[in-house]
Amino acid sequence: MSAQQVSAYVNAMFEVAMANDAVAVVEDELFRLARAYETNEGLRSSLSDATLPTERRQRIVEQLLGGKAHNVTVQLASMLVGTGHVALLPQVADQLVKRASSEKQLEVAEVRSAVALNDTQKTRIAEALSKATGKKLNLKLVVDPNVIGGIVATVGDEVIDDSVRTRLDQVKSRF
Amino acid sequence: MNAIAIIIAAEDPTQSHHWLFPEIGEIIYGGLASIVIFSALFKFGWPAAKKALETRTAKIQKELDDSAAARRDAEADAVNIRKALGDIAGERARMLAEADTQAAAILAEGRARIEAEVTDLESRATAEIAAARSRIGDELRAEIARLSAQATTDAVRATLDDRTQQELVDGFISKVGASR
Repeated sequence: MSAQQVSAYVNAMFEVAMANDAVAVVEDELFRLARAYETNEGLRSSLSDATLPTERRQRIVEQLLGGKAHNVTVQLASMLVGTGHVALLPQVADQLVKRASSEKQLEVAEVRSAVALNDTQKTRIAEALSKATGKKLNLKLVVDPNVIGGIVATVGDEVIDDSVRTRLDQVKSRF
Repeated sequence: MNAIAIIIAAEDPTQSHHWLFPEIGEIIYGGLASIVIFSALFKFGWPAAKKALETRTAKIQKELDDSAAARRDAEADAVNIRKALGDIAGERARMLAEADTQAAAILAEGRARIEAEVTDLESRATAEIAAARSRIGDELRAEIARLSAQATTDAVRATLDDRTQQELVDGFISKVGASR
């Protein structure tokens, strides 16, 4: 049931974004909103809190994205909250990114780093991953403090992990 | 002789017959009547009397037989009672002996069971102590490992300044770029 709902939402959102000629912007903004939803406990509990009126939760989304995101992005995120399916946001955003990327013959590359990357680093990392995998990539950057240091890149099923977190886990497993 | 002489001497010469003896005819009719009466009595009364006597005799005999039978029964009962008394004493002794045997067996069994339970409890307590010791050791080691890992993570995080972070990112890019 959940997979069908996700698929239905993705198709609908893709059509709406395409009709507004904003697929790239919308999928990127929803992707970042989904990562914020995953990592921010306060945001997650506020948007999932059934005791709060729906309008109040939708207003939180609008205040969070208003002026910084495309109108379509705000409306689609608000719709998910309004229908009570905000928990599906991460899956919907990931599927939407994949759908948008496949339309452009691109592979999604999710890059997690402990600190934000500058433009030069973004360009270099996109080129390096593209060269390493032999694919054209739609780069998605996520700042994740749990990485501690270094980078974890995921391209399709392939994971390139050079993070401090993984090295520490390997040391920990030897204890 | 003097009395008869006196009776004869007292005879009244005016009477036709002696005052003491009846007349001959009276004697004959009286004798015949007596014979008839005795014959009738013999014929009709004797069988009834004889039957009554026989019935009485039979009844008495029966009562005697019943008494004898009752006495025999009483004697037999007395023998049985005496025998039963003897049996009761024997049964009592047998039951007491059996009870003693059973009590001794129960005591021995209970003692053996308690000893087995004590042994089992001791072995289980020993095993549980060993398991608890091992578990506490494992938990302690795990906690030490967790704290060590946390301390290591914190220490590493503290050493990762912005320059080091950038070097790690650049190092990743260089490695990935050089991988093909």
